[in-house]
Amino acid sequence: MSKIKYIQNLMETKQISCVELTEKYLNSIEKQNAVLNAYVNVTGLEALKTAKAVDEKIAQGQKLMPLEGIPMSLKDNISTKNIETTCCSKMLKGYYPIFDATVWEILKKQNSVLLGKTNMDEFAMGSSCETSCFGVTLNPVNTEYVAGGSSGGAAASVAGNMAVFGLGSDTGGSIRQPAGFCGLVGFKPTYGTVSRYGVVAYASSLDQVGSITDSVEDASIVYDSLSVYDPKDSTSVGSKISTRDKLNNSIKGLKIGIADEFFEGIQEDIKKSIQDAIKVYEESGAEIIHFEMPKLKTILPVYFIISCAEASSNLGRFDGIRYGYKTNSYRDINEMICKTRSEGFGKEVKRRIMLGTYVLSSGYYDAYYKKAQNLRGSIIQDFKNIFEKCDVILTPSVPVTAFRKGEALRDPIETYMMDICTVPVNIAGLPAVSVPCGFDKGNMPVGMQIIGNSFEDYKVLNAAYQYEMKTKASDKEVLL
Amino acid sequence: MSYELVAGLETHIELSTKTKIFCQCTTEFGGEPNTHCCPICMGMPGTLPKLNKRVVEYAVKAGLATNCKIRNVSKMDRKNYVYPDLSKAYQISQFDKPICYEGYIKLSSGKNININRIHIEEDAGKLVHERGDTYIDYNRGGVPLIEIVTEPDLRSIEEVVEYIEKLRLIMKYIGVSDVKMQEGSLRCDVNISVRKKGEEKLGTRTEIKNMNSLNFIAKAMEYEFDRHVDILESGGKIEQETRRYDSDLNITESMRGKEDADDYRYFRDPDLVNIDVSEEEINRYRDSLPQLPDKKSDVFINEYGLPKDDAELLIKYKKIAEYFEEASKDIKNKKLVSNYILSQVFRRLPTDAEKEECSISIPPQYLNELISLTESKKITSSMASSALEQMLDSGKPVREFISEKDMQGIDEDALREICIRAVNENQEAVESYLGGKEKAFKSIIGYIMKETKGKADPIKSAEIVKEIIRGS
Amino acid sequence: MISKEEVLKIAKLAKLSAEDGEIEQLTLDMSKIIEYADTINASAEDEIVEFDNINSIENAFNEDIVLESYDRDEILKNREGGENGYFVVRKSLRG
Repeated sequence: MSKIKYIQNLMETKQISCVELTEKYLNSIEKQNAVLNAYVNVTGLEALKTAKAVDEKIAQGQKLMPLEGIPMSLKDNISTKNIETTCCSKMLKGYYPIFDATVWEILKKQNSVLLGKTNMDEFAMGSSCETSCFGVTLNPVNTEYVAGGSSGGAAASVAGNMAVFGLGSDTGGSIRQPAGFCGLVGFKPTYGTVSRYGVVAYASSLDQVGSITDSVEDASIVYDSLSVYDPKDSTSVGSKISTRDKLNNSIKGLKIGIADEFFEGIQEDIKKSIQDAIKVYEESGAEIIHFEMPKLKTILPVYFIISCAEASSNLGRFDGIRYGYKTNSYRDINEMICKTRSEGFGKEVKRRIMLGTYVLSSGYYDAYYKKAQNLRGSIIQDFKNIFEKCDVILTPSVPVTAFRKGEALRDPIETYMMDICTVPVNIAGLPAVSVPCGFDKGNMPVGMQIIGNSFEDYKVLNAAYQYEMKTKASDKEVLL
Repeated sequence: MSYELVAGLETHIELSTKTKIFCQCTTEFGGEPNTHCCPICMGMPGTLPKLNKRVVEYAVKAGLATNCKIRNVSKMDRKNYVYPDLSKAYQISQFDKPICYEGYIKLSSGKNININRIHIEEDAGKLVHERGDTYIDYNRGGVPLIEIVTEPDLRSIEEVVEYIEKLRLIMKYIGVSDVKMQEGSLRCDVNISVRKKGEEKLGTRTEIKNMNSLNFIAKAMEYEFDRHVDILESGGKIEQETRRYDSDLNITESMRGKEDADDYRYFRDPDLVNIDVSEEEINRYRDSLPQLPDKKSDVFINEYGLPKDDAELLIKYKKIAEYFEEASKDIKNKKLVSNYILSQVFRRLPTDAEKEECSISIPPQYLNELISLTESKKITSSMASSALEQMLDSGKPVREFISEKDMQGIDEDALREICIRAVNENQEAVESYLGGKEKAFKSIIGYIMKETKGKADPIKSAEIVKEIIRGS
Repeated sequence: MISKEEVLKIAKLAKLSAEDGEIEQLTLDMSKIIEYADTINASAEDEIVEFDNINSIENAFNEDIVLESYDRDEILKNREGGENGYFVVRKSLRG
């Protein structure tokens, strides 16, 4: 059930004021954030100011906009004018953008209440928030485990009842994986439907902004507000199809594609949860269609090459001259730049920059980057063919459930392999949502992923919503 | 041992769009440092570029005016390198699919200098060095440029200078740039190599940068040619490198201190989309181009009968050429018009800049009227000359200075009377003339012109005077 | 297997410096990852599908209309106002 709708109803019927609501969330943050470390920056004064304005509007009997008065969080790679935006990197500590990201501008206009900026892996490179310069974010479901990454803070803010919704970014699974780990709904829209302007770039052709919520309807409400064409973003298309009014569409006859390749090597209990979910769909009249995805394993190195290449170029601008960290001793400009970058960036970021530089360098460009882009073209074609036969595809979100701190960083390849289900979605620019579908042996949440064809975000959310309705979660108690 | 010079040119031209290439900051020249900037041209994290439509238009026009093929689908690429004046640490440019390719500019010798490509790119900011510290102004960052690259077809300094002048003139004519070398809106880098005459293989080339006048380009090339020859003659090897021209010492020096052979790691910019120019659009741009200098020159010389030098002088300044065309509408003897412009009018526009501006005090229609009257013999050429001076002084048309009555001229009988008088009053001159002194004749005519206040037709008068003298 | 020299060359291009201790590990890590990246070459060349941009958008343009630039104070805000309106990089700095 939609927390956003529920809360707005409470406010409109004057059962709670926006200021009271905001204070409750700020208290919740104060009580828990020291342990969970979801927020790296709490903007209490800002939040209360907005809440007050909303209360005035309600007092005048005005109708609320879809996201008005809703306490929310923004991942710290989303530019917020005059509010520190660090990407959780030493490189941008103390950096105050002079402009707003378009997605924040949209929410600002709707008087959404910004509670603060959330923790992430440094420059969004990672899957556990362990590369953040502010430390790891713990999982509110069980603090022995991590919340995931790179939008770990966003997920923990919602799972820990410290925000109604959080915006994150997803380049290879950074919204869907933490949502899955924390038992939440994480939605990554079709590439180009939500503006990237103002979101610090990791890999430009893969990044998308999305939401983490505790219900599908809330994801839908957020998406419908954000999916506007942005003239400042050349890759922006926006979406003319609203998703909220289609959530209740019948899924009878819905063709759901399943491929064995996505299930190889995943935890047994995860497999079981997904299989149970498939049964729910079958009982609702959906049709299961089996297809093959032989190229699945190559998608990861393709992703890796493209994302590192683009990142190495996007991060070139951090040289200490115009903003951000600057080394405090050097003998000449070149040394200044090298030292600034080496001191300002963490190990994982430096590694990816090195790799990106390598795959683009003369002599290697054809073998790596060019080849990867060509493979990308053929993967996109493969998906097009699959969507001729299926409406949506169902896969696990992640091969594992939340892991403990320190487990992830052992072997780089193994860590990257965890993105095997989520990465193909970014490669092809498709919409995908992670929906909670059970628990593992240790009672940690399991997420299943529903992938749709380009610009069929409404189908993805519809399928997810129907599952949600038929199982429980619709009556999750709204803790305030 | 005779050596031949081989050169190719890379010319950067600043387009005269109102706004920068990827944002809407002004491109206005000057301005206090960092006052024409925004998050996009500053490359602040999260910002995205968006291409200025007019940049594509100007680039296509530049290509069409230089006989290039236009690529229907082109893209933008990132050229990655780190330098303080480059705010994103990459320059957005075009690598393997430039918007224009395979064109040429024809020199007066009839030889074509082939153009390999024209591509679109953004300019970087400006660095100022003071006592070792570096100061950076990003106003120029993001200003749109086109880069025009020739094949190594140039064989002499004269050819290089002519190519640049022709290129400049074409760009001025089509209005895509004000191509001012001193202001930096036209920058040329020269690639130069030498080889023994008759040899087919190209020698090792060096690139010379930092020459901001044609004069410096010529001097730098001379120096570099000699340097290459000296090295080869003494058995040495030319090192492929970039060199900087020092105008004070008139030498070129190695820039080896700068980044050596940067690997630019070009790849398509994922933040930008394809540029699609349809055949229809290309045709529209082609139709909108004004008559180009070479064609105009052709018309002036072959159709209007102007001497080559005169035509060249008129065409050198687009506005003057247009003024001339307006002023010579329906005039039979267009040389007359150009004579007046090149003499009396030009005297009022002593500098090049003034000629470029063509701020003549009278509109071309006034000059047209004056010359019409001269052609129809309503006024004499000396009347016209002095009237023109008055017109240029005041900005007023001819009828302010020559009345209807004056235009009637002098009838033959009245003229004959004046001529007889002239001969009688100037007996000494007549005798001098008969004695062989041609000059003396002129003084008789001068007397007639004075008496008639310039209204007499000097040719007619001379005829009559000769008649009288012969007769007497 | 990538060599230490290549790693240093890449670091130079990327404007990163690595302490001597780090280079060994970095070389090992990079070798492993590049080996993994090499697996794309195992994939058959059957179909090379040209890829330019995801949604095949073209011609996203701005009009040539001037918008007011940002205040210089804002532009220089993250560098404490700069110096006389310029960004400065001192010749050298002693920590």
